[in-house]
Amino acid sequence: MEKYDLIVIGSGPGGYPAAIRAAHLGASVAIVEKESLGGTCLNWGCIPTKTLIASAALYWHMRHAQALEVSVEKAAFDYAAMIQRKNQVVAKLRGGIAQLLKANGVTVFEGTASFMTRNRLTIQRSGKESVALETARIIIATGSSAVLPDFLPKAASVVESRAFLDRADLPARLIVLGGGVIGCELACMAAQLGAQVTIVEILEDILVMLDADLRADARRYMETQLKIRILTGKPLEQIKAGAQGVKGQVAGEPVEAELLLAAVGRRPVTEQLALDKAGLKPNTKGYIEVNAACQTKAAGIYAIGDVNGGPQLAHAATAQGLLAAEHAVGPRQTLRAQVVPSCIFTAPEIATVGLSEQEAKQQNRSVKTGKFHFAALGKAMASGETNGFVKWIVDADTDQLLGAAAIGAHATELIATAVTAVQAELTAAEFARTIQAHPTLSEAWMEAAHAVHGQCIHAPPRKHVERKA
Amino acid sequence: MVQTVIMPKLGQTVEESTVVKWHKREGEPVKKGEILFEIETDKAVLEIESFFEGTLLKIVVAEGQTVPVSVPVAFIGQPGDPIPEVKPISRPAPSAETASTPAAAVPNVRQPLSTVTPSTSIASPASGVRRPAQRGINLALAPRRAGSDIPPPPPVRKIVSPRARRLIRECVISADPIPGTGPGGRVVEKDVQAYLEAKNYAVLKITPGAKNLARKNGIDLLAVPLTASRERITVETIQQAIAEKPKTMSKMRQVIAQRLTASFTTTPHFYVTVSVDMTDLLEWRKIMKDQNKPFTVTDFILKAVALALVEFPELNSSTDGHATRWHSRVHLGMAVSIAEGLVVPVIRDANDLSIAELHECTAGLALKARDGKLTPDEMTGSTFTVSNMGMLDVEHFTAIINPGESAILAVASTIPTPVVRDGKIEVRAIMKITLSSDHRLVDGACAARFVNRVKSMLEDLELWKSMI
Repeated sequence: MEKYDLIVIGSGPGGYPAAIRAAHLGASVAIVEKESLGGTCLNWGCIPTKTLIASAALYWHMRHAQALEVSVEKAAFDYAAMIQRKNQVVAKLRGGIAQLLKANGVTVFEGTASFMTRNRLTIQRSGKESVALETARIIIATGSSAVLPDFLPKAASVVESRAFLDRADLPARLIVLGGGVIGCELACMAAQLGAQVTIVEILEDILVMLDADLRADARRYMETQLKIRILTGKPLEQIKAGAQGVKGQVAGEPVEAELLLAAVGRRPVTEQLALDKAGLKPNTKGYIEVNAACQTKAAGIYAIGDVNGGPQLAHAATAQGLLAAEHAVGPRQTLRAQVVPSCIFTAPEIATVGLSEQEAKQQNRSVKTGKFHFAALGKAMASGETNGFVKWIVDADTDQLLGAAAIGAHATELIATAVTAVQAELTAAEFARTIQAHPTLSEAWMEAAHAVHGQCIHAPPRKHVERKA
Repeated sequence: MVQTVIMPKLGQTVEESTVVKWHKREGEPVKKGEILFEIETDKAVLEIESFFEGTLLKIVVAEGQTVPVSVPVAFIGQPGDPIPEVKPISRPAPSAETASTPAAAVPNVRQPLSTVTPSTSIASPASGVRRPAQRGINLALAPRRAGSDIPPPPPVRKIVSPRARRLIRECVISADPIPGTGPGGRVVEKDVQAYLEAKNYAVLKITPGAKNLARKNGIDLLAVPLTASRERITVETIQQAIAEKPKTMSKMRQVIAQRLTASFTTTPHFYVTVSVDMTDLLEWRKIMKDQNKPFTVTDFILKAVALALVEFPELNSSTDGHATRWHSRVHLGMAVSIAEGLVVPVIRDANDLSIAELHECTAGLALKARDGKLTPDEMTGSTFTVSNMGMLDVEHFTAIINPGESAILAVASTIPTPVVRDGKIEVRAIMKITLSSDHRLVDGACAARFVNRVKSMLEDLELWKSMI
């Protein structure tokens, strides 16, 4: 039986970095992947959606280029070719991971892993006989998969996000069921390419994890600019689906489209693991519970990423993977960074880090905010990207930056500064003293930090200041 | 017209109260019936509604201040109304005198015998004196107030030069351990610098957020224990230090501490335990419940105790060591655990109540206790107390006698237990009850007869049937 120091199950953004880090630390490492290297993030999540969104956004900008006095005669797109380009990007990145694993001496097993005992796995391989492996440590990084709820009819016109990304045609009309991150991103993408999109969300609003001001801004843009019909607070009922299309009703109002995209959540992947053989049991929600070092209740077994019920974000999984790998084979570290940024690639882009205003208030903190709108920035006006704002969420007692949010063009890049500041526990006063380059959108952070203390240079004071005679 | 809001008198024995919280700020409009402020007596925290309509013009008594009843605490009127001048509140009686003659200072109808009656022993450290709010800073001094006999050491006044003080503030450290080399032991800037160097302050990595938090909360950065990683002093490190700081107990908690310490150290306690077979009574209780008479185990215990107390006057008395006083009426205290501590609402003339009346009374008082709605009068005057921890899964416990009483009954959980009956082992529902008695007043034989009387009543199903 082959023996390893560490076996990682799943090669997503949590699994493969964990394997490589463990190899760096001198361990003999194997990684098991049942489908495609890179997992959901690379193959059916982050990367493919961003590839399509890039094309859609460019097409949208070309059609609206007149705002910057540029005329484009015939802007057009080929959706099937866009899907192909996406596949190429994904294939290239996948190849990169294979190379990295090979260069680091990590053995890749293609197949499905299940526990025999706490330190033995069997790998079922298609077309090959299964193989048994023995190991000192195991990291479970099996991720999650999109849910197609039972109340939806089984039909070609009803898909979840993964199947959606593999379709070579864009429907003329699209119903997106679920106003969360995935639903809104794909809704915006399709709308930018000219599809008629309806979002149906049973909760009171779309993107409910965001503060109300961000939600209002995003929703207004999506409704007025992208012409997305957003129906919230009511369920989609009387759903009928055939090969040609989908029909339904939202509070008596008919909704119809060629395709329905279900984006109502993801569930952890644990079925084929035979966790009971390792003495493990998922909790009532299906997640494998872990401590701060990502250790499960079974000695030597770790769980990272979506499968442990933490934030469903690729970068969170990566951070956990590195931590777990170090804990498993190297010098033990148990400090898990709590500051995890979150980016939403809608139009407009949205990014947050740390506490939101509503979370901070729920914690009974006294909270101050400092907000600055891009409309007041020279660079934003110059580039015609005046929509949106940044804001700091600040502890009123200690001036500490508890969190930040940005909405508007490049928000997902702009958040990086805020991540550093929040992680370093900077105060608003401290941040206000930094120099941000002019003319850039990043100046907004500095101005917003000034705004926390009512000392904004480029916004009128809230109270008119009377000059002393 | 300016209306004067006064500190209300919320019970016969309440002489003073502390303003805990103002719900309105100066300048804010106030409606009639709106909650204006919260006060804390030695028994409870209560919300006070406004009798007036208008604008809160001035708050006279700040949060944390204790004042006698009936003195002005605020003024309500129209903006611009002249605010009457208020003299600083002076102490109504010298506290030393109050302490030496407590019975005279605070007339107490129900518990006059004991020289250390609960209300007076509590009232003395705080009686009517205007007390500044404890504003977070230097809580280490707090224990001084807590009525200890040992006089606190005279505070050493450290003289610190302004430049040194500024540096100390900037570095968020305490001046206390810094040796002063200036004239008269004065701490000067170079002393602080030397101290910082000696303590290796420069190697500390402190996040700006952590520094501000420490400054706000009076945490000395050099006294903060470093985490295992020893990397940085973060907000989390400071939060831990704040959590570990001594905190002044709520007034209610302080009262509990004083009363129980006084009782436990001045009363010679002894304990007698018996096992009560509750099997039959519990079965009958189920039948009663089905007939829509939902009595609780507490109801039966209280009733049995009330009946037994009529037969055993020693246990419904109190003593100061020189004289005894028999309470002719049975007022049962019922210990109720609430979030902020423990309260003991009183069921008056419990022996005269039918079991249905008793049930209604205890249910009402327990509800009021949990909602914080008990008035001080509802919490004074008990002559015997029952503490029931039956719902808390305990096999047996002993309780401390409430001051001014001669005994307390501790009721434990009812547990299925193998017992010998008629020479055979059977599983029965057994509940242990333990009587704590004041040995100055109650002898062992008396206590034994009393608990066995309670036991025999609880085991006598015919008695209960006759009472319904």
